Amino acid sequence: MKQDGRHRDEWKLTPDIKTGFTVPENYFRDIESNVIMRLKEDKLPKNHGFITPKKYFEKLDNHIIEKTKTKKGKLMTLNRTKIKFISVAASIAFLLFFGSNFISNTNKELTSEEIISWLDTNINSIPNDELAFALTELNTNDINPYLVIKNDDIVESLLNSNDMDFLIEDINTK
Amino acid sequence: MIDETTLVRELQNIQTKEKAFRVLIKEYKERLYWHIRKIVISHDDTDDVLQNTFIKIFRGIDHFKHDSKLYSWMYRIATNESITFINKRARERNIDISEIKQELVSNLQSDTWFTGNDIQRILHEAVSKLPKKQQLVFNMKYFDHLKYQEISDILNTSVGALKASYFQAVKKIENYIRKNQN
Repeated sequence: MKQDGRHRDEWKLTPDIKTGFTVPENYFRDIESNVIMRLKEDKLPKNHGFITPKKYFEKLDNHIIEKTKTKKGKLMTLNRTKIKFISVAASIAFLLFFGSNFISNTNKELTSEEIISWLDTNINSIPNDELAFALTELNTNDINPYLVIKNDDIVESLLNSNDMDFLIEDINTK
Repeated sequence: MIDETTLVRELQNIQTKEKAFRVLIKEYKERLYWHIRKIVISHDDTDDVLQNTFIKIFRGIDHFKHDSKLYSWMYRIATNESITFINKRARERNIDISEIKQELVSNLQSDTWFTGNDIQRILHEAVSKLPKKQQLVFNMKYFDHLKYQEISDILNTSVGALKASYFQAVKKIENYIRKNQN
């Protein structure tokens, strides 16, 4: 038969004349390592051994839906303050630089609602250039020791860079 | 099988968003859960990361532009959230990421939500010692049975590089188990 006389490489480059089948590029080059890999895989445990609490997945949906409503509420509150600058750091800088009286006059832990309320009242009263200066001077080591947030998830949310991207986008789109 | 285009359209419509989101959670929660679990190991931590992942999906779906499959996009968010979690835990404890990963795995011995045997525990030890990308590729290919092209869409890495990563990962894991099982 003509095929038996052909050079080995031709098998890779040309389709089989009788059947018309072709193979993916480099198939025969890679097959050895693929088979070896399969042999090694066969020696590994098939199951990871993790389990979940009973009915975990059944209860999960409602927990998540509830959380979307809770988190959305907080961000809607921030948007209603009409924060001029899209950077969340501006809010923190503003509070730290201009809110020292507010912070030091309280001898209790501040809640996120109290901080938002204060920002809402005062943020429009400071010129943009002063606020920009505050941003450049902000040093996280200077955070007022009296600034203790009782419910710290809003600060965590503000400072977390992943959340910040969505927060900035959320503010921009409102 | 849910029609992805329709689902995304409903997710991006304020009238139908919550209903569509429930469909999305129901469809993908287990796949995302197990993906995250293999990275962060503990059930409680996985629960936190999974819920954060879905929150991010909920908030970001309006910006989803169909430049990848919906599942790839969600998987990517889950992966990033898991890595962020590990990094954050390491920062809080002021230790290396490799140390925190070893710590998470060593806790398996007393973990209520792990019923694996010694070999399975050693497997997780071996996986935790891999470089981050090899670890992700191994988990997605070996446990989640994703195709290389799907992994490529999620990790934004070529199929060729993924195959090489996977081969290296399997080799290292097999060697580690062989050395440590007795």
